[in-house]
Amino acid sequence: MNRVFITGAGIISALGVNKTEVLESLRKHRSGIAPLIYLNTLHRGIPAGEVKRSNREMMQMLGMPPEEITTRTSLLGMIAVDEALQQAGLETDAGMRLALVSGTTVGGMDMSEQYYKDFLENDTRNAYIATHDCGACTEMIANRTGMFSMLDTISTACSSAANAIMLGAKLILHQRADAVVAGGCECITRFHLNGFNSFLILDGEACKPFDEHRAGLNLGEGAAYVVLESGESLRRRNREPLCRLSGWGNACDAFHQTASSPRGEGAVLSMTKALASASLSPSEISYVNAHGTGTQNNDLSEGIALERVFGKVPPVSSTKSFTGHTTSAAGGVEAVISLLALQHNFIPVNLNFSSPMKELSFRPSTHDIPAFPLRHILSNSFGFGGNNTSLIFSKAEDS
Amino acid sequence: MNDVYILAAQHISSQTPLCEDWMDAPRLYDDAYVRAIDPDYKRYFAPNTARRLGRILKRALLTSQQVMQTSAVNLPDAVITATGGGCMENTEVFLNALTPEQGELLSPTCFMQSTHNTIGSLIAIETQCKGYNSTYSHKGISFECALLDAFLQLENGEADTVLLGAHDELTSNYFRLLCRTGYLGLSPGSFGGETALALMLSGTPCPQALCRVRGVEICFGMDPQAIRRTLEDFLQRIPCDSGEIDAVMLGVNNREANDRVYADWCPVLFPGQRFLRYKHLFGESYTAPALGCYAAAVCLHRQRIPAHLCSGDAPMGEPRHILLYNCFEHKNHSFILLSSCGK
Repeated sequence: MNRVFITGAGIISALGVNKTEVLESLRKHRSGIAPLIYLNTLHRGIPAGEVKRSNREMMQMLGMPPEEITTRTSLLGMIAVDEALQQAGLETDAGMRLALVSGTTVGGMDMSEQYYKDFLENDTRNAYIATHDCGACTEMIANRTGMFSMLDTISTACSSAANAIMLGAKLILHQRADAVVAGGCECITRFHLNGFNSFLILDGEACKPFDEHRAGLNLGEGAAYVVLESGESLRRRNREPLCRLSGWGNACDAFHQTASSPRGEGAVLSMTKALASASLSPSEISYVNAHGTGTQNNDLSEGIALERVFGKVPPVSSTKSFTGHTTSAAGGVEAVISLLALQHNFIPVNLNFSSPMKELSFRPSTHDIPAFPLRHILSNSFGFGGNNTSLIFSKAEDS
Repeated sequence: MNDVYILAAQHISSQTPLCEDWMDAPRLYDDAYVRAIDPDYKRYFAPNTARRLGRILKRALLTSQQVMQTSAVNLPDAVITATGGGCMENTEVFLNALTPEQGELLSPTCFMQSTHNTIGSLIAIETQCKGYNSTYSHKGISFECALLDAFLQLENGEADTVLLGAHDELTSNYFRLLCRTGYLGLSPGSFGGETALALMLSGTPCPQALCRVRGVEICFGMDPQAIRRTLEDFLQRIPCDSGEIDAVMLGVNNREANDRVYADWCPVLFPGQRFLRYKHLFGESYTAPALGCYAAAVCLHRQRIPAHLCSGDAPMGEPRHILLYNCFEHKNHSFILLSSCGK
């Protein structure tokens, strides 16, 4: 039995700047997808899940001086890490081996794509050269608190945050850390907006995951982190867990750099590994928070994989219809959404669904109320290159 | 808790590629910017493979294939990759094309090959390894982060073999940019380089292995006392008495900003130790510590340390334990302990 507990969580996304706002949006079926307005791009107006705050506004939220060198991805990360640390009550604890494991791929690209010409030609924007790489983002988040004695950055595209949470669990189990803040952060950039656009997989309207007429994904942005702790640390700190991270599995589809295999091989492997590590049978999973990007390829491949793993597929939804695809942050955003679903016993619905996919035997959930109390939630995050990760969150009392 | 064995290692770097010639015939450079010496890829890849892949991907794939061949591990259980900067060449092409933002002219291939985990995914696709796959990108300790993950999996038997790669490319533009930040620049005996290293690791004892990895530790902070405690805990957990360590390999690179911390802290952290260096041969890059680890592994395997690796004192007899200490920008630290397979 994996004894890794979650004692705190923080989130910022198109649905709001904290858990309370995100929960309210989910419960009221209020999507965060709207025409792009914060990103300076020719594609303004295309639907996306932007965080409805400018960099300046986020710096104010964080009490940072406006001239401080930072990037949008790190600002998102700082807000979510602050909330997670606060809930776990880790703010004042000293002498604890506290690690930060963060996933990102974009890193400081939002600034690099603005200032790239300056980088090459003059010395005016050198500070942003140093904030470009993925690790710099993690360091900026860590520098804000000064509490972390170990930093690590994972970059596996859209499964980055899920892999960060998985590594966090291993660090706890191997007693390399007492507590780990794990998750991911990513802002929308012109770089990957245009990249996804060049693949012709952006839906010009709100995305429709698992719908027969789905036409692609909406990009999103955000950050979300959970605080992972060992049982011993909980006892020492006299804290109650919010839930348990009971299982995890990663596998590689090894099929194509950008497409999933037709039978969802990697997805079957990651889900199967996660179930085995949690010692759970498929029928014990109450709800699946799917990767569900809304592209033709993903939803078909993942749908087939779900049928292969579960037979009778439990309630499934893709909350990317609320948040957009938050890429490297997605595993964190969907971990926190899963945690909220467990705590408040509701199924986050799959928005914009009307016609079932003809290849699949199941349809995504459009009703919040679960038939049985939620006990175990499986969350999928799949990245480019077939990097597939599944995490399982369980009620703390189901130990 | 088991040791981890380095079964085989292959590099493409500023030294003669895919061999250990650097031991006795090191190449030394006066330039500030040195690209890796690419082998003739036509000898190894079909023409369309060579054309399709960017330089960092060709290097990653070839070193991986070579290490699989030398170790006779045909299907590793996991592929773990380190890259500090990722696929810079394709990132630059895409960034340049983006400046006018004419979406229709952007190449999907460049975007696809610009993502950090393109490297690990390519290796998985080409080797059909469907096992665990992850990529670490944490500045100058990216390799150690990846090694730590591999170590955690191997010591508990979660995986028996891990193909571990460390890859960074340095385009001329990226070199200019990193000079602006002061990370690279003109200093005698120091250069910006490129890293392509593949290691095959195993949790099963193997007398023919290059060496054993006894432990790896990463930490973050600027307090020398805290770093010293981390080092002491690290050695105690293995366990290893500091008196047994034959030499400490450092990430010094002849640049004052980088070397100051070693000069300040090494007397406290490693009193009375002999020191080795590697960046004068392999250059500075985010994943350069991987080449330091490789160099130390070869020394342990061949049971001698060439004089050109030694800072100060002449080479000692047969080395058995080499500790690697890397410190990036005074804040990110790593320790790796390697031991010979004999005894």
